[in-house]
Amino acid sequence: MVWATLQPFVEWLGSSEFGQWLGQSTNRIAGLFVMHLIGLTLLLGGTLVIGLRLLDIGLRSQPVSGLARDIAPWRMAGLILSVISGALIFTGGAVSYFEGPWFRWKMTLLAIALIFNFTAFRTVAYADEGRFHPWLRRTMGGLTLLLWFSVGVAGRAIGFF
Amino acid sequence: MITVVEWCKALEDTRIGEIVRESAFPYVEGAHVLGLALSVGTVVWFDLRLLGATMRTRPVEEVFRNLKGWMIAGFSLMFLSGALLFTAHAAKAYANNYFRAKIALIVLAGVNTAVYHVTIDRRRSEWSDAAVPPVGARAAGLVSLVLWFSVIAAGRIFAYDL
Repeated sequence: MVWATLQPFVEWLGSSEFGQWLGQSTNRIAGLFVMHLIGLTLLLGGTLVIGLRLLDIGLRSQPVSGLARDIAPWRMAGLILSVISGALIFTGGAVSYFEGPWFRWKMTLLAIALIFNFTAFRTVAYADEGRFHPWLRRTMGGLTLLLWFSVGVAGRAIGFF
Repeated sequence: MITVVEWCKALEDTRIGEIVRESAFPYVEGAHVLGLALSVGTVVWFDLRLLGATMRTRPVEEVFRNLKGWMIAGFSLMFLSGALLFTAHAAKAYANNYFRAKIALIVLAGVNTAVYHVTIDRRRSEWSDAAVPPVGARAAGLVSLVLWFSVIAAGRIFAYDL
């Protein structure tokens, strides 16, 4: 399995000087969590806006592809901020995070959400009006919301369960 | 006269406080954290529009109309879930400086919104179509972004301190 293959790298990362330094300070980790939540707000907020539009539930006066292009840079900024802060939080407690089932769920869901985002979602959201059937568009909206919010749910579960 | 601390303790002793503290906490907090997407996560798009940083071809009027209901729903969810979380550890929260800062920042964000609506927003029809709104509107958008991100920061650190 891919997890077993990664184990030696995770152990090296967790015991590295940088990993130890990060994990030592509550303030550093708290600061990283703040960045992670601001990233989440931009990423999931943007996901919500485009997801609702694809579903024809919200922002209906704005054309889909125009809206998708308008929100893309800020949503991407949210993704980058989340990934960088998340990677650093992980580095500060690598071995224990890596063992957790919810962490593994989160990473699996994140991988699926990213692949989906840069293939099917992008194709449909950026297409000209009428290029795809309305139900395909709505399905993409529903899947986008489901995938990205399940990443969030799994992430919150890491801290609690 | 009961003191605020006594009132907080009484709140913790209610059935709701007990349920949240002993079983519902992870779910209510999960809703509060993911609710960021619906509350601040929708407000940021309006703030960015006021700054001329997104949806520049769409009138400010239209962006506001499209987001308004979602913003209200988002903040209702945050207020409700936040109030429930408060009942679980009211006395500790009340005594915490980060919690106090968070409440103060929320009040400031509300004042900023109110000032915007009674001043520059009154003349919105004059600048609604502008790609980059006038300086007063941009200032309101920037202040809102900074305040809401500060609310998130204070809330996250407060949870750490609890």
